[in-house]
Amino acid sequence: MDTMIPLVLRVLLILGSLGTLIFILKRVRHAKMQIEDTIFWIFFSALLLFISIFPGVLYWASNLLGFISPINLVYLLIIFVLLMHQFSLTERVSQMDVKLRTLAQRVALNQEKLDSSRPDPAPEKEEPSRHNG
Amino acid sequence: MLKLLIVIPAYNEAESITRVVDDLIQNYPQYDYVVVNDGSRDKTAAICRAKGYHLIDLPVNLGLAGAFQTGLRYAAENGYDCAMQLDADGQHLPQYIAPMLETLEDGADIVIGSRFVTVLKPRTLRMLGSYLISWAIRLTTGRAICDPTSGMRMFNRRLLEEFALNPNYGPEPDTISYLIKNGAVVREVQVKMAERTAGQSYLNFARSVQYMVKMGLSILLIQWFRKRDTVTPYLERSL
Repeated sequence: MDTMIPLVLRVLLILGSLGTLIFILKRVRHAKMQIEDTIFWIFFSALLLFISIFPGVLYWASNLLGFISPINLVYLLIIFVLLMHQFSLTERVSQMDVKLRTLAQRVALNQEKLDSSRPDPAPEKEEPSRHNG
Repeated sequence: MLKLLIVIPAYNEAESITRVVDDLIQNYPQYDYVVVNDGSRDKTAAICRAKGYHLIDLPVNLGLAGAFQTGLRYAAENGYDCAMQLDADGQHLPQYIAPMLETLEDGADIVIGSRFVTVLKPRTLRMLGSYLISWAIRLTTGRAICDPTSGMRMFNRRLLEEFALNPNYGPEPDTISYLIKNGAVVREVQVKMAERTAGQSYLNFARSVQYMVKMGLSILLIQWFRKRDTVTPYLERSL
């Protein structure tokens, strides 16, 4: 048993993945997140849960690939998955930037049309004090 | 008679939009319509303007859900009693609007223009997704929806306000399933659909798989945890 993932870590992993799942579903419940965006997190917490319940699969894989310690494989796997997710997030933020710029420009151009189609600009109010004398 | 708005979401539909809208204007002048151009990269918007169509022109691409929601917000703000989606590629035939409206007036909240009420659903690979979604809806709601992926859907005032205001209300089967679970009355009316004559289907294999994963998770898992936001009526909100 000394080569197994420590019991404390396993319990933490199980609790962490369950917690993630509950947190995500709670946010969806209050309509804080779009369903498309929850799919990744549901799969991610399912992966964590799977690893924590069936660490044997991981031992087999780390043996096969030549990792010194199976925990390294866990870290590598998680870091990789998060990296990929970070990449797709960057992509999305970038697209949102472009959309936001387009939107702001559209609003400004429309406003310009409104302003320039107004017949007469209101004449500036003259300050009475200067013309009193 | 109920005041109906036909929402026509259009993304790169320059080849078919005139045929669809001209048909509506000439043969069905009793219905109001609005084309929602979803930031098309072709001449869709220019054609609509040149022809004088009623157009809402989105400056960026929002996707089908966002475009359709735009149409529903318009309907909510302009006092329509009901609204429906009609595809710009000519698949949906307006001759079936009248029977759908009748069913809505009979007290349905949502009416689906369905290909498979009296006609048997073909057992082809293309229909596999439809079978799976029907099964998932039946499992979670106990109700049979013969054609869950049909985009030809009509909503009454209460539902169109709910669709107009909430995120996670895409015009997709998972929303239908969620609403059935929450007590909405959904009925199907048998319709025929035309084959698309121009443009390409949005769904390729990868997108189909992605769509099925989303629908599966959403129908089987996520909707159990969703809380329905009972809304203040649209017009009272903005007072």
